[in-house]
Formats: sequence, C-alpha cells, structure tokens
Amino acid sequence: MPGLRDVPYTQYALANGLTVILTEERSSPVAAVMVMYHAGSKNEIPGRTGLAHLFEHLMFKGSLHVGDGEHFRLLQEIGASVNATTSEDRTNYFEAVPSHELELALYLESDRMGFLPGALDQSKLDNQRDVVRNERRQSYDNVPYGTAYEKTSRAVYGATHPYGWPVIGWMDDLAAATLEDAKGFFGRYYAPGNACLVVAGDFDRRLVGEWIEKYFGAISAGPAVPRLALRPPPLADDATLIFEEPVQLPRLYLTWPASPRGTRGEALMDLFTTILTSGKSSRLYRPLVFEEQIAQSVSAYADGKEIAGTVSIEATARPGTGLGLIEERIRNVLDDMLTNGVTEREIASAFNGKEAQLAAQRTTMLAVAGGLATAFTLRGDTAAFNRELERFSGVSPDEITAEARKVFSGPRVALNIVPAGGRSLAASPRKSRPTGGNNAA
Amino acid sequence: MPVWIVEQHRSPQVVLTAVMHSGAWLDAPGKSGTATMTAEMLDAGTRTRDALTLSESVEFLGASLTFRGGLDGAVGTLLTLSRHLGEGIALFADALTGPVFPPDQMERLRRQRLTMLMQQRDRPAAVATTALMRRIYPADHPYGIDPSGTESTVAGLVREDILRFYETHYGPHDATLIVVGDVTPEAVLPMLEDALGSWRGSPAAARGPLPPVEGAKPGVYLIDRPGAPQSEIRIGAPALPRRTDDFFPATVLNRVLGGQFSSRINMNLRERRGYTYGAHSSFVFLKEPGPFLVSGAFAAPTTREAIEELLAEVGAVYRSGITAEELAFSRRGLIGAFALSFETPFQIAAALQALPLYGLPDDYYEGLLEAIEGVTLEDVADVAARVLDPSGMSVVAAGDANVVRPGLAALGRGEVTMLDTAGEPVRG
Repeated sequence: MPGLRDVPYTQYALANGLTVILTEERSSPVAAVMVMYHAGSKNEIPGRTGLAHLFEHLMFKGSLHVGDGEHFRLLQEIGASVNATTSEDRTNYFEAVPSHELELALYLESDRMGFLPGALDQSKLDNQRDVVRNERRQSYDNVPYGTAYEKTSRAVYGATHPYGWPVIGWMDDLAAATLEDAKGFFGRYYAPGNACLVVAGDFDRRLVGEWIEKYFGAISAGPAVPRLALRPPPLADDATLIFEEPVQLPRLYLTWPASPRGTRGEALMDLFTTILTSGKSSRLYRPLVFEEQIAQSVSAYADGKEIAGTVSIEATARPGTGLGLIEERIRNVLDDMLTNGVTEREIASAFNGKEAQLAAQRTTMLAVAGGLATAFTLRGDTAAFNRELERFSGVSPDEITAEARKVFSGPRVALNIVPAGGRSLAASPRKSRPTGGNNAA
Repeated sequence: MPVWIVEQHRSPQVVLTAVMHSGAWLDAPGKSGTATMTAEMLDAGTRTRDALTLSESVEFLGASLTFRGGLDGAVGTLLTLSRHLGEGIALFADALTGPVFPPDQMERLRRQRLTMLMQQRDRPAAVATTALMRRIYPADHPYGIDPSGTESTVAGLVREDILRFYETHYGPHDATLIVVGDVTPEAVLPMLEDALGSWRGSPAAARGPLPPVEGAKPGVYLIDRPGAPQSEIRIGAPALPRRTDDFFPATVLNRVLGGQFSSRINMNLRERRGYTYGAHSSFVFLKEPGPFLVSGAFAAPTTREAIEELLAEVGAVYRSGITAEELAFSRRGLIGAFALSFETPFQIAAALQALPLYGLPDDYYEGLLEAIEGVTLEDVADVAARVLDPSGMSVVAAGDANVVRPGLAALGRGEVTMLDTAGEPVRG
C-alpha cells in the first residue's frame, strides 16, 4: 500500500547534552527552526501555576546580546513567521525563515537558551504578566464555555495532579509570580540537556553543523531533569458538575480517564472517537445532530498527554433540549457499539483520515520539525515520528471495542454548562449527587 | 471552464478548488444568507447520493469536501491523497453540478444556522465585528451584513430562493478550477473532463454593480456585555477594493501600522502598556472598497485609553506616513514572507484563488516582488492621507457598559449609541 514516505533525519548530541535533529528538504527555500524544552505546566507547583507559559512570554523580552523586542523585530524584518506554544508537557519556540537567513534564527535561539536570566527584570515581568492576564481573559474568561476545559481537568485530575490546573494558570497565581520564580524556572528546566533543536528544510548540512556548534556549543550544561513518572487520573467515582454561565445553549462535557500519549490504547481511542463524531454519518453526529437534531454539535476526541490521558465527548444542545436527554442518547450509542462492535469499514475510514492528516503534516517544514521534536521529547524516540501510522494499523473490531469497553466502563466527569437559571437543563448525576459547580441557592 | 494545475510531488496530497463569483454580494435585499446557504447545501444531497452517503464516501477516502460562500465569491474544496483522486473528483463534481436541495435538508441547515447566529450573540469578538460592519456601510449594502445572514433573514429564506440562486449563479461560465499537488496534467485533465465536462448551468447572468459604499456617518457604539472583563474594540471605515493601484502601498503601510507583532499598534498597546494580548489592523480588500479595520480585546478599565491610543496611532500615520526605516523594514519583510507562503498545496491553491476572483493577471505573482520593492514613502503617505482619516471612522465597543460607557462618551466623538448583539440600535 503506498504509504507515507519516511522523513530522513540525522540526530546527535552536543557535549552539553543538547540533542540536535536535522532533516533536509531542498524543494522550497524555507528553513524551520524549533527548540523544544521538556518543561510545561506539569512542572509547576500549586500556588505558582501559569509559570511555564508566563516564562515563554519572557523568552521574547531579550537576552544578553539581544534587546527587548529584537527577537520579533529581527525575524519579522526578514519575513519570518515566529511563535511559541506552551502545553502541559513542553514548551516550544519556532520560526520559519527564508533559508538564507537560517543563521540568524540559530543565533537568536542560542542566545536566549544560554543567556536569558541577566536580561530579565521586574518591569518585563510585570508587563508580560499583564499581557498574559489579558490572554486569559480573551481566550478563556471572556468567551462562552471558555473555562470548561480547566474545570473538567480539575475534576478529573484533582487539584494537586500536574494536569489539574490550566496551562495559562489561575489568575491569583499569575499575580503572585516573582522574578525569582521566573529565574528559578529557567535555571531548573531551560538547560541544553533538557531540550532539542530541530532544523528542517533547505540548508547545507555542513554549514548548519558549524553554526550549531558555534552558537550552542558554548552553553553550559545545566542540571539533569528527571522525567515525571506516569500518573493516571485519580478519579475514583463519577462526578457531576453544573455551572450557570452567560451562554445561550447548554453544553455537556463528558471525560473519562484513558491511555497516555504514544500508546496503542491512545491510537485505538483516537480511531474510536473519529468513528463517533467525524462526518455526518458518524455514530453520534448522525442521530444527535443530523436526524433527531437535538444537538447543535457533537465532538469526541482522545487527549493522551505524556503522563496520563483522557477521552472526551462534548455536545451542545439545541434550544430547549436538556442535557439529560443528550447524555442518554450518547450512552445508548456507546452501549450499542460496545455490545455490537464497529465495522471494518468504519475502522478503514478512520485510518484513512489519520493517514491523510499525517500526510498533510509533512507538507510544511514547521510541522515536520514539530513532529520530530515531539517524538523525541515526549516519547524519547525520534524514530516514532516515521512509525506513527503503524500505531493505527492492523486494528480489528475486537481490539478497538475491547479498549473502548475499558475506557467507558470507568468513572467519568460530567460537566454541565447551562444558561443562567437553566439548572433544570443539566444532566442529573447517575449515581452520586452533584459534587461541584456554582450552586446558587 | 479554465483549469490551473500546479505540480508538487513532495507529498501525496492534492487540493482541488473551484472558485466562483457566487458570493453574498449577490444576495437580494432582505434575503441575506442565500449565497452561503446555497454553497452549504451543495453536499446536502444530489441526484445520485443523499447527504449521508456523500459524507460517508468522502470520509472513507480520508478526504475532506467543503463548499463555502463568502462576500465576494464561493469556493468548493476537495482535499485528498492522490491515490483517491479519481473517486474524490467524482464526489466533488456530483455535489457541484447535481445538487437537488432536499427540503428536509434546507430545514436542518436553517435550524443549524439560526442556532449558530443565536450562539454568536455570546461571542464578543463576533458581535463587535458584525456591529462595526453594520455601522460603516449604508443600510442594505451587502458588505454591512454577515454573509450568513441575520436571524430574521435566515428565518425568511425559502427553497425557491436557493434554487433560483443556484440556477442563476452557478455554472462553468463562472468557475475556475485550481488543482495543486501530487498530480500531472495528463492524469488529472481526463478525470476533470469526465466529471465536469458536461456541466452546463445557465449562461452568465447580468450582475448589477453594488450600491456605493459611502453614506454611513461615523459614530461611537456600545454593545453592553455586563460583567465582561475585556472590551472588544473595532475601529474602521470603508477603504480600498482589491483592484486598487494602492494595493502594495497599503499592504506595506499596514505591516508597519498594525499588521505584525512588531507593529506600532501592537508594540504600543501590548508590549508597552500591557492593555491587551494583541491588537492589530488590516485592510480587507474586496471587489468594492472593503474596510480598514483596527481590532483588539482590552482589559475593561483600559478601554478608553486603548481607543485613544489606537486612534492616535492611526492619526499619526494619516498625517505623517511612515519612516524610511519602517518602509525598508516592511518591504523586506513582505518579500521574505512571500518566499515562505508557497510551501503547501493548500497555500498555493489559496494564493491562486485571488486571481480569477478579482480578475488579476495570470502573471500576478511574477511581478509581485518588483511591485513591493517599488513602493515609496510618497506612495504610502498618499494612500494614508486618502483612507486613514480617523475622524471618518466609527468606534465599536462590546463590553461592560457600567465600566466603559463614561469613557466612550468622553472620547469627544459624539454621543454613544447603544446597540444590540445584532448591531442594531437598541429601542428606547
């Protein structure tokens, strides 16, 4: 079967522990540079949540040889696209540049990897703290259902599990962050040995190797950073939460503990959730949205993270429909699938979608860099990138149903978000009484 | 029907798009939503496949098939791997040329859209943008209305509207096909001829010009969102059409003013003052003059200051243009970004869509770098003086009236008019 071509790469480590991954693709004059640090919100402590992401912002405020704002300015002057993202598990910094400007990108990344703390000061911290507070408002607090994900995570993982708080952090913790906290985070996690540097695209292998040694070789190795151990959600029993918020329509979020990232179990549930909600004829979309039209939308997905994972189903009810009815329909569909299984055609369909998705990823150097960096950082195995499709291959209806049975027989969190005054639209708990929410009398 | 083919064999992906002029600019007064509804209904059932069969067939290939209408046109897009191209083209052609617009599907999509519009009321960003567009264009101008329509126009659409729109505005006379990716002309042209060669459609209909864009008076508008921690701000006025001679000067100008992270607007409002996660400006180039738009979300207590700063930044460029250093910075950046913007089949297809849609010459991209390099300080100052007068712009805020209303009133730009979430003045 014509499959995905392997992306060839070379990998080596500098003396200071920095892992370097290079992959050449000469057909477009583009070079993507990505530095991924194995640090994210899971490395924070309660009371100081949001620090990893806040620190990501501070990484753009200048380093020893680069002025405040110069990282963006220098790169945007040459037309590069620049950004960074923080997740629970890692933080990555990247730019796609016209290939003849590659040296500049490497220089800038090396300067902030090796020489940032001296350039950090209180006014930069205060300024970016304000920016991040606005980001929190714009992305979560001021949008409908914006805080659903953090409420669900807290309920599934509990307040002290590393996945129990949002990446953006709680507002109070953002206010409390100090300059010492920021410098401490850098010192502990932003070491070459805790990072990988990926260059993907149009470059000369020898030249790039020289630049990397020149700019990154001099950075001192920092402390070793141990990997966190797997830690599944401690959810022991069903939990139901109800929140009244300024929304037009009720929405239900159901979440179950499941396998972490990179496992066969996660791949199986990825396919299963595709069968549930991808396309009009899918198992949940067809009855809920297309035929009965009791839901405006429904989506299901597997969310495997590094040390734990979940599976979620979300449904938005049409006006006047209660979430109890929605949950009942979802349960009926799941029961049917767990009893009678899924078809070979459904599995093939989901697999084909996954293959197309991975093929699309390979069309852009930034995405290729991201895929290689992620495989190395979170799976400890760069080669897993090229083998990714295998995780989804050779799946039988029995195997996928067995995994689904395991997941859906476990406890789950049901988060109801209903319009103000609409508590009666919430799905009532199956076994236990509501265990949380803004229980207005 | 012209076919443009770009080969790129790096990955097995293929993008096939049909670009048509059948956008919301053709909606009859009171019938907003017709064009977009027609596009969305193409895959809701054909002579040979019902909606579910069509959808399942596309899914099985791991492909995606979407039809979307916008203001100036409509686009159908098939994304697939090359080994499924033949089947994908058959499905694409079936939807494009043989839709039957089943009445039950019309009702399903109407309900879905009405619910979507209702949900839109909760989204401050959407509410603010809709309101600004409503206020800066004359009443009933298609550009002032979201292509999806309003809750009342969508409720009033009948199947006859959709049928008539399709029969009048869809046909090979109006479409250009663009195919990019793992294809060769020898392989794909026969497939396209086979699938689409017999498509007739009605002859090109006479399409009247759009009404003039002038006439709306600038004002200050507020949509109340009690308790909102941020205000979504929109400032703007009708500006330039896509075919303007000022396209490159305006693009160079905007990159400096508000079109990138290091822009004047963003550095001021975000990096220096910390009022926002991001503020930016843009020219929306449409068939007729589309808006110049400034936007951002600002912490509620900073709303007045943010608006004053945004207007000040626009005013500074209006009066004095940009500096020589900024000009060089912007030109160089646009040229560099150009090199990066043809990486994927999707990007290439998207870039090509503008050509048939706006009647740009086939060799448009060959002349682009020269055109950017040729922009002078005078060119930028000229276009700024013509389209960036802040006194001609309206200001819209979607935020907590208790917190922000006094500040809006104190801007010195006239009375504050309260609007509802649909952008209409509140009665009483």
